[in-house]
Amino acid sequence: MSWKPRTPVAWLQLSHKPMRLLAAIAGVGFANVLVFFQMGLSGALYDSQKRPIQQINGQLVLVPRRYSNFGEPLTMPRAQLARALGVEGVRAVTPLYIGKIDWINQNTRQQKQALLFGVSPDNPALKLPELQQQRSLLERPNSVLFDRGSKKSAGPVVQTLASGRPYDTELRGQRAQVVGLFQLGLTFAADINLISSTANFQTYLPETNNDDIQIGVIQLNPGVSATRVQATLQSFLEPSVQVLTIPQLTDREMEHWRKNSSFGLIFNLGVLVGLAVGAIIVYQILYSDVGDHLGEYATMKAMGYSDGFVVGIILQESLILASVAFLPSVLVSMGLYQILVRSTGLLLTMTLNRAGLVFALTLVICGASGWLATGKLRRLDPAEVF
Amino acid sequence: MATAIPVEIEGLNHWFEEAGSSKQVLRDIHLQVKAGEIVILTGPSGSGKTTLLTMVGGLRAAQDGSLRLFGEELRGASKQQLTQLRRQVGFIFQAHNLMPYLSALQNVRLGLEVAPSWLKQGRRAMDARCRERLSQVGLGHRVDFMPAKLSGGQKQRVAIARALASNPQLLLADEPTAALDKESGRDVVALFRELADSRGAAIVMVTHDNKVLDIADRIVHLEGGALA
Repeated sequence: MSWKPRTPVAWLQLSHKPMRLLAAIAGVGFANVLVFFQMGLSGALYDSQKRPIQQINGQLVLVPRRYSNFGEPLTMPRAQLARALGVEGVRAVTPLYIGKIDWINQNTRQQKQALLFGVSPDNPALKLPELQQQRSLLERPNSVLFDRGSKKSAGPVVQTLASGRPYDTELRGQRAQVVGLFQLGLTFAADINLISSTANFQTYLPETNNDDIQIGVIQLNPGVSATRVQATLQSFLEPSVQVLTIPQLTDREMEHWRKNSSFGLIFNLGVLVGLAVGAIIVYQILYSDVGDHLGEYATMKAMGYSDGFVVGIILQESLILASVAFLPSVLVSMGLYQILVRSTGLLLTMTLNRAGLVFALTLVICGASGWLATGKLRRLDPAEVF
Repeated sequence: MATAIPVEIEGLNHWFEEAGSSKQVLRDIHLQVKAGEIVILTGPSGSGKTTLLTMVGGLRAAQDGSLRLFGEELRGASKQQLTQLRRQVGFIFQAHNLMPYLSALQNVRLGLEVAPSWLKQGRRAMDARCRERLSQVGLGHRVDFMPAKLSGGQKQRVAIARALASNPQLLLADEPTAALDKESGRDVVALFRELADSRGAAIVMVTHDNKVLDIADRIVHLEGGALA
């Protein structure tokens, strides 16, 4: 009730020099955008690792015990997957073969690494609609489907197909024809994603054994509890394999990238740099503000204003800067995300969580710099005004 | 409060620490200022006038002897106690010390807002009082001016209006007329006289301005930290 009649000293002081205020807002906003940029990019990179998992056409998967991530497939006997068929609630099982294979760009003769998924055409382990639509193409010998999201350096595959012709290339030295496209998106594992039938998979990777699969996809009847079937399966399958739900598989993938890539570290450092920039800007502005107005603050103390009140003015100023700079920086960041989505294909989105986190971080950082900037003020002796 | 003597000083000594050694700036001061009394403090620079003034205003805690403000002992007073006491004192500084980002009215209002009792009365009541005070110092037509748009004398008058805003029972002024021309200087001290006579305020003023010495009830001379 007593705040209302009080003169908004902090705001009046900040707005007294509009250009300086604008520069301060721009500075804090820039720091925010830097943080949003780092968070957006790292979030999108992590999210993109989930894409193949999100396309798995089933509720449970069977993976080797030592499985760690999609890009490093380990094998297990196919017979283990077949045994799952006998469990109540299991409607069907289907294998997902995964292998890495060299791809040749026919224009540049450049060699690239591709991730090849082998699926059974009558019950594909990935639920991409293109697999149903192009089933007959998938079944052709020496044929593969190509991910539109693959790196451009793979060659003019999409353009060639658009003109009505298949794209001829070679995989592991064998003739291969791209006959169709699908949309999945890249992971860290490879620059190109390909899908073939299980039969073609064996042709291109002859050293793999038809009886050894990488991931077994288990499809359940509607309404069946995945966790219950998971427990049943785990109880009688060999300990060399494990049954995971799709969320568990996703967690496993994220866990792997968190632990085994420096992306997290790099982006967290980026976030720290952004926050540090914001902190330094706010500190610099408020510190010089305190210095410029020392006599006036001493006067306020002499008039009977408490230390807390005077320090509070600077803290308010820091929080005003943080708040006023926030909305513009969200808008700029969203624009930046749009540009990145268009140019990289990464899925950058402004989530409420992220915006809230960044706002909380700026408030804390700005408040802390504000507090640091008041050191001189707290020690200020009001007798100095005379 | 009204019955308590505004300022009572007995055997006050004060030292400043300087480069490891302490230098005595006030020696065995005895001084009493009663309600409605104007005391002018004179003395050469370095005689301890300003130190004495800041101690009377609760800006420094007393070290030795006794200094009572409205009956309250300031020796060894806590920071909070001093802050509270300052609210009952009006200060006029040599430099005007106005907030450059506040208008004349807002600057004066800052002198009221420090008192919870005024805050409770609301913005309208405070503004009315501030306008009244600004008119009294001849600035009724300048209430919304920023300090940068006011002359030196006008700024000093705003500072005086600020000090007088809440009718302090003790007013301390350090060379209040130094920045003013002869006429406005007379106006200001006339205002002090009126404040002392009609409201019973005690006023302690440091000045070298011979033109205003006549309004004092008493002139006290300080030399080398001791009263002459």
